[in-house]
Amino acid sequence: MPEMIKADVIIVGGGATGCGIARDLALRGISHCLVEKGDFASGATGACHGLLHSGGRYVVNDPEAAAECIAENMILRKIGQKCVERTGGLFVRLPGDSRNFRDRFLRSCDTVGIETEVLSASRALDLVPTLNPSIEEAIKVPDCSIDPFRLCMLNIVTSQKKGGTVLIHHKVRDIIREKGRCVGIRVQEDATDTVTEIRGKIIINAAGAWGDSVAKLAGNSVPMTLSKGSLVVTNHRLTNMVINRLRPPSDGDIIVPNEAVCLAGTTSIPVLDPDTLEIESREVDIVATEAEKMIPAFGTTRLIRTYAGVRPLLKADGANGRTISRGFRIIDHHDGMYSIMGGKLTTYRLMAEKMSDAVIRHFGMKTKCRTAEIPLEGQDQLSGYPLSKRLKKLENILCECELVSREDVERVVATVGTRHIGDIQHRTRLGMGPCQGGFCTYRALGVIQESGRIGPDESMKMLKEFLQRRFKGIRPALWGDQLREEQLVESIYLGILAMECEE
Amino acid sequence: MDSDFQHCIRCTICVENCPVFTVNPEFPGPKQAGPDTERFRCDDEKSIDTWIRLCSQCKRCEVSCPYGVSPADIILKEQLRYSETHFRPLTALLFARTHALGAVASLVTPLVNRAASLRLVKYILRLFGMSTYMPLPEYRFHTLDRSRRRKGKRKSPRKVVFFYGCYLNYNRPDIGRGIRDLLVSFGLRVVMPKQVCCGLPALGNSDFDKARRYALKNAAVLADYIDEGYDVIYACTSCGLTLTHDYPGILNVPEGKKIAENTYNLHEYILKLMDEEYLKLDFKPVRRRVAYHIPCHLRALGIGYPAALLFEKIPGLEQTILEDTCCGLAGSYGFKKKNSATAMELGKIAAAALQATAPNAIVADCGACRMQLQHFTRLPALDPSEILIESLRPKGEKP
Amino acid sequence: MNSGFYDIVVIGGGFSGLMAAITLADEGKRVAVVSRGNPVCCLSTGCIDVLSGHEDPIRGIAALPDEHPYHLAGEEATVRALGMFSDIMAGANLPYMGDVHENRTIFTPLGTQKTTCLVPRSMESAHDHGDDYFHVVSFRGIKDFYPSYIMSRHARAGSSVYDAGVSATSAIAERFEDKTFLRKFISWLKGLDIPAGSIAIPAVLGTRSAPLIFDEISREIQRRIFEIPTLPPSMPGQRLFSRLKNTFLARGGSLYWGRDIASVERLGDQIEAVTIASAGRPSRVQGKAFILATGSFVSGGLYATMDGVKETVFGLPTYLPDGRSTWFNDSFFVPGHAIEKSGIRVDSTFRPLHAGWSNLFVCGSILAFSEVMKYGCGHGLAIATGVAAATMCERQV
Repeated sequence: MPEMIKADVIIVGGGATGCGIARDLALRGISHCLVEKGDFASGATGACHGLLHSGGRYVVNDPEAAAECIAENMILRKIGQKCVERTGGLFVRLPGDSRNFRDRFLRSCDTVGIETEVLSASRALDLVPTLNPSIEEAIKVPDCSIDPFRLCMLNIVTSQKKGGTVLIHHKVRDIIREKGRCVGIRVQEDATDTVTEIRGKIIINAAGAWGDSVAKLAGNSVPMTLSKGSLVVTNHRLTNMVINRLRPPSDGDIIVPNEAVCLAGTTSIPVLDPDTLEIESREVDIVATEAEKMIPAFGTTRLIRTYAGVRPLLKADGANGRTISRGFRIIDHHDGMYSIMGGKLTTYRLMAEKMSDAVIRHFGMKTKCRTAEIPLEGQDQLSGYPLSKRLKKLENILCECELVSREDVERVVATVGTRHIGDIQHRTRLGMGPCQGGFCTYRALGVIQESGRIGPDESMKMLKEFLQRRFKGIRPALWGDQLREEQLVESIYLGILAMECEE
Repeated sequence: MDSDFQHCIRCTICVENCPVFTVNPEFPGPKQAGPDTERFRCDDEKSIDTWIRLCSQCKRCEVSCPYGVSPADIILKEQLRYSETHFRPLTALLFARTHALGAVASLVTPLVNRAASLRLVKYILRLFGMSTYMPLPEYRFHTLDRSRRRKGKRKSPRKVVFFYGCYLNYNRPDIGRGIRDLLVSFGLRVVMPKQVCCGLPALGNSDFDKARRYALKNAAVLADYIDEGYDVIYACTSCGLTLTHDYPGILNVPEGKKIAENTYNLHEYILKLMDEEYLKLDFKPVRRRVAYHIPCHLRALGIGYPAALLFEKIPGLEQTILEDTCCGLAGSYGFKKKNSATAMELGKIAAAALQATAPNAIVADCGACRMQLQHFTRLPALDPSEILIESLRPKGEKP
Repeated sequence: MNSGFYDIVVIGGGFSGLMAAITLADEGKRVAVVSRGNPVCCLSTGCIDVLSGHEDPIRGIAALPDEHPYHLAGEEATVRALGMFSDIMAGANLPYMGDVHENRTIFTPLGTQKTTCLVPRSMESAHDHGDDYFHVVSFRGIKDFYPSYIMSRHARAGSSVYDAGVSATSAIAERFEDKTFLRKFISWLKGLDIPAGSIAIPAVLGTRSAPLIFDEISREIQRRIFEIPTLPPSMPGQRLFSRLKNTFLARGGSLYWGRDIASVERLGDQIEAVTIASAGRPSRVQGKAFILATGSFVSGGLYATMDGVKETVFGLPTYLPDGRSTWFNDSFFVPGHAIEKSGIRVDSTFRPLHAGWSNLFVCGSILAFSEVMKYGCGHGLAIATGVAAATMCERQV
């Protein structure tokens, strides 16, 4: 007999939008159940720049979106004191970049309300010594950086505290319809294949790039354009501020400091299937080349990984992935299902607010949204910024690259379960440093095994799955030092540990 | 290959080769202290690495790194940064001034030497944070500063300046004079100019300003001599590393490059004179069986082991080269109480390795190594020049 | 004669370089080894993989592709070279066991079994542990060894944890060098009253005094006991390297360690000297012949740029199968990515092809088509090509 869960609202999708909605509903006292087929932020949320925009990137072409960004930026700084890094950002103008655009940029920022400061090249180089010394000038804006996984998980803390149910690694198998209305879903857990039935009054489809396939399960549809964006990760921080290019948005013109690395990107390539993403060498070359123009060290710096995500954009015929509005839309399918599509990480809270408002209206209630006022719960666990705060505790370290301790790993294993090493990785940053889990994966798995939770076959399976997934992300960055790293890691897992190879 | 830390692939070879890490669990090792934590450090933020001073700067990590990364350099910078915002213990203040300490102690030698062996004095020293597992080195009144400064044919085509360093100056001036006279016997003009401490103890005790002041003072003197056609010679390998690596490097001495390029290890220089056929030496037999302990800083110089090459020419001399262990004293490092357990442990290990070769004497180019190894092996520890002098017996000198 | 003038200068102090250097020193040659740092063999299991895919690794050489560098040495010479290696290690008090015609297995920290050929004595009995009771001894706090990995694969197994007071692999190994510690450990082990069977222990039984420590434990405990090599830092790898290096020193060799090569001096078709980027001023090391044994990518003998591969000392032409997008397979678990074929191609005298140097020889994993991971032949190839290249080089000098 499948288990049955009952809740007022079912949320499909554990990205920033879904988690944000869960928190909002929790604060408004609405019972809910969130399901996610992977781990939190396994879609676009976890594959973006981790940038909380000041809005500067949209201010010239889409001032409404920019206005939303700056407002949300200010809110998120307040409610996420310890998880938002106030790096600030620079829009750098290189020789040849349009002065006209620069003037429009400043005017638009002024109109929209984005605080700017024009810096001379030497002042900009004082702030970020690795900048290209031949920049003409830079405009300072209030960009911030955030770890998107952490953001999702902090939102979920509230949801769970208020009785919300959260099922990760559960994929929607079908949507149950009765008398023309969506009344529930059935989800299947990926490891055990257990099926659980969840009944609710409203189903919110916040599945991002998979939104259309989820909608179709109910006989609905959400027309989308899927656009892949690839990014690269550097070995260490080359800048402590977000660096943008002062020109109309294009490929590879953002570099974001995130934890102990930099994320640079992105590209925009139309795709059809969000589940099979390949990062091409040329994408890596494009990103590295463009980033090099702003920070010359990018030409020789070590890249430790690449990743790609799919932007779930509302379909607009004839438009390319970049000019489609980054705004979001809520679709009422008039059968108990809503879909919320589009948007960006920076405005997740606003999207969640609007969606929750719609839910509240649906129930005929009047409860107001409080997510902008109440600080995110769970931040006391974080060491916060600046990064050097992580150096406080150096005991019993399992992941030496990212300073993750055995206690950290055991805590995650105890709360989340042990099906995927990726879960530990997202929550602790284990394996996200230069060696990309070369040593610590074995150690973390050892800790899990010691706890008696898994047997040898399962642990071997987990290890293989992790190493394979990891390799996929590293492969496009394999030259120079990272190629050396990979040869070393290969000699550990295939040599010293004698893991079985395919023939 | 630049020593850019991004080349570090976490292979752990440096960790395997770090003597402090092997015996002191409080030190997280060169990989962690260097490339790992470097990714998190921020110049604008206070350093909080309370263990950073546990690194003895032996440089074994950089010598063993397959790619030439120098965790030691990264750690040194962080030691200096840490000390900007943290109280430096009395011992650090004291040892940064090895030069002044020596100058004072050598004035009142009989008193100092006798007092240093008294139980009460040792107790007081321990209160102040010094370690007393080993007797303090004896000081001499007749320092090299007070010895004849110029010797040898005035018109000699080969002129050298001898940078003798604090240990030879204040503690073993006899060895220093022996080296001076040996070089004179080669027909060289030898000058022992006014000099101060090379600056390494100050650098190692996180007093960058003092280190630089000493360096600038020495550099001014040495540069002048170099301009007049002199070559600079050192015998102490730690002084040598400081002159050739740190003067042009972290201490940023304006004439640093010139000094580095014209400074030679004593034995390297003797070999050079022989290669250029300026010198033809008649090595007489020395019937000794020596265990040659290679000082960590000699390895770090990357010049090979020139004294060992000279020893090969001495009939009857049996030498075994041992380069796998750090003696543990590491200059002033082992004289601090907080490092004494580490220093003692490493000293015993190094001594055991040497003793396993059944030598009747130890040889080491570094005064600190000699002190430490003599203490733990109970065998005489000689400077390589002493063996050379025995073999060459410059005119007038008795064997 | 110039003090910096050697008969042969070996560049790269790794396994193949040291084997070549020892071979030549034994022939009475004046040999220098120049090395930027410690070699990759320090990190290995310390065992000699000759050719892991075949039961008889020597026979298996014949089945390798024509380009494989084992063919440059040949089966007979490989057997002789392996014998030479065994003699060296016996002389260095770290004897290696095994039959070059029969592969054997050791245990891994993952509980899997690894095929290898020659093993140090402390790993000899890993091969015949059978279905007996299996006991894993570990140490409190050790990060790179988890008994459950190994126990979970055996029907009858147990484990015990000893508090060594320290938890890092190399720190525990250093503790074992202390006689008092060893005695305490042995009496603890005896007190466990382990049933008849095998005892597995991570490879921390000393460094300088290995295998005497293992021997003493074996004698006292009267059980089949073997070490399991750990993730780096690897004590067996370290032991192997340091014995080889010290053997070279003891045979009169000279070492120039820890610095990069600054430049190469050439005259006609001969390499005259290399200069080392020593402190202050480059040091010149001259030789009649040179052997390049700088290894593959990890050690930096080869370097991969975004679109090619370089040999980093002499700029020799390197073989590269194709462009960057073909270097690696899609799967991590396919042995033998295309990039591993990359390296220096040599003629039958081990001289690099298309380079025109008459006194330069190449050996070890820098050789093209080595494919060490794919064939499981790392150390065996190092020994075979090191000795063979040295022999060729000797004829030159």
